[in-house]
Amino acid sequence: MPAISIVPERCTGCHSCEMVCSLAHEGSCSSSLSRIRMKKWEEISVFMPVVCQHCEKPPCMTICPTGARKRVPETGAVVTDEKRCVGCKSCLYACPYSAPVIHPVTKRTMTCDLCNGQPLCTKVCTTGALSYIPEGDLSMERKKAFGEIFLQSMKSTQRLKAEDGPTARVRANGSR
Amino acid sequence: MPKGWTGKRLRIDLTLRRAWSEDIPEGDLRQWFGGRGINASFFHQNFPSPTSSSENPIAFAVGPLTGTLAPCSGWTSIASFSPFSDPPRYAFTRMAGHFGVPLKGAGFDQCVLQGKADRPLYLWIDDGKVKFEEAGHLWGKGTTETTVAIQEEKGDRSIEVLCIGPAGERQLPFSNVIHRLSWTGDHLGLGYLFGVKHLKAIAIRGKKPVALQDPPRFLNLCLTLKDGIQKDRKLEALKEERTFSLPGRDGKRRMKDGNDSSSPISEQQWTASLSSYLSGQESCFSCPVHCSRNTQHEENCTGGIHLEKAWHFGPHIGVYNGDWTLKLHHLCQAQGLDPFLTGSLLARILDGVENGPLSDQDPVQTDHIWEQGEKAFVILNRIIHDGKNGFHLAVPPSSENKDLDVLADIIPFCKIVVNRLNRMTVSNMIELIGAATGHALSMEDLQETVWSILRMESHLQNKEFPFGDQSSFPRVGEGQINEILKKEERSNESTIHRTTS
Repeated sequence: MPAISIVPERCTGCHSCEMVCSLAHEGSCSSSLSRIRMKKWEEISVFMPVVCQHCEKPPCMTICPTGARKRVPETGAVVTDEKRCVGCKSCLYACPYSAPVIHPVTKRTMTCDLCNGQPLCTKVCTTGALSYIPEGDLSMERKKAFGEIFLQSMKSTQRLKAEDGPTARVRANGSR
Repeated sequence: MPKGWTGKRLRIDLTLRRAWSEDIPEGDLRQWFGGRGINASFFHQNFPSPTSSSENPIAFAVGPLTGTLAPCSGWTSIASFSPFSDPPRYAFTRMAGHFGVPLKGAGFDQCVLQGKADRPLYLWIDDGKVKFEEAGHLWGKGTTETTVAIQEEKGDRSIEVLCIGPAGERQLPFSNVIHRLSWTGDHLGLGYLFGVKHLKAIAIRGKKPVALQDPPRFLNLCLTLKDGIQKDRKLEALKEERTFSLPGRDGKRRMKDGNDSSSPISEQQWTASLSSYLSGQESCFSCPVHCSRNTQHEENCTGGIHLEKAWHFGPHIGVYNGDWTLKLHHLCQAQGLDPFLTGSLLARILDGVENGPLSDQDPVQTDHIWEQGEKAFVILNRIIHDGKNGFHLAVPPSSENKDLDVLADIIPFCKIVVNRLNRMTVSNMIELIGAATGHALSMEDLQETVWSILRMESHLQNKEFPFGDQSSFPRVGEGQINEILKKEERSNESTIHRTTS
């Protein structure tokens, strides 16, 4: 399956991917209108783009009660049929990457459509944090590795929070 | 309202704990193009002369390209009456990073703070709504702790926070505001001004879209520009060498010159020593250059660092050990100090020009400390914690090339990139503004705007304006800008020119 490969270590948090996605799809610039989202934990210098991985067996398609999530045969992208989507958010919770987002106006879910096979986010990413893998090259191992880094970042901030609140985290990062 | 703008100004009175929004006339937006002009115009109309330091207004403003895909457009203009001069005088600065983007996303082109809170607070601006939150629990905390604590209080790590550290709370004159633990609004004394106002931080979340006049054209222009910048051979060199210095416009790397205490070899050693702590890159909003570097120190991640700031805690003060440079930088970052002014002050103390904070009777002496970095660290700690702030500060002289400053602000792009990458020309900038706002900007408009802004600023600073009419003003144009840029490169004190990779 085609996918956008994510290498979080290379992301610098410039938000260009969000802007180009929003501009190309909605005609205006806003992170809330983007199909790709940049998450950040600045105190540990982690910036991470999150975007649909167009899984081989997408849990969002399985769980969608109205059949709104479907694969486009031409591009292999898993997208939302807005006419069928009722905005129940099931796909948000089913997705291991939390990739689907709610459109602020239509209130339907939206995900990456791979820009008809030429994803613009990969064109504006100058560090190589995002790259387009057209067919079958992105191994399951790579996807798992991305998921692992995502999980570790979440856990490391949560662990530090549980220990002693923000103070512990700051100490751990050596800023004080 | 022209596209690219919100047409709103957020006014905040900290004394009354009141916030309100007012319209910015469409004519003003069309006339001033960006943050610096809007700020100067506001002060010119409302605060033509300085007020007391607690009433002192602080203005943040953005341009029509802020929050869009336009490369290198994530800068914010800031203006106030600076405490660095006596009596306070109108001053302005720019801040790189991401702060202006949520400000526009919250629905404002400009935010003006005035008054003084009766107890510590922080501002919470959430998509246009303003709340005055108690900050007693944050008072005394470092900038990293403050940023993280506010984000967690609000349950959203995407919030942008601009805050002061303990140095600002103690009203040290060279204290600063810090944003995303990395970017600062330098040379203005903002940390002091926030401290006087009992304002610990401004936290913003804003996700309203920026509307554009001609989205397809704007998209194409941005993609072409980004592609060109990406292929620029100077940027290629930067990427390959994984360093954080940029070459000059002529492609040559430069060493610091004219200082006996430093040699090219020792500077190279310092750069190599510091490079061993670099772990990744960080970037301003929508910038393809990524000139900030993350640092890893003793297995801990310690945030972003910029070369010009690092240099002020390195060769500038005779420190050639990257480890001590990082320690000084982190102390400065956590306390919320202006790295340029702090470096200048330390240099003067270490050179014996300025009286140090340690008297003969002081139990803490630095004479026995051999390592220059450690000595600087002890002195800086003493300055911070004893509140000995009566030093004469060597405020860096403003640029000789006011024209370039104005141009970099009114057409809000990163001066560092404009200066070095030939792809960023005035024509490209004007084209981008046209596609974003629908306003076809001419060179004559630009000329008039530059002249008007400089005249207003001269008036606010009580300085004589040398160009009585526009006809005597140097012609602003492609050739003129190239000439200014060349001149700027020769005279620029920026440390980016001084250090090679």
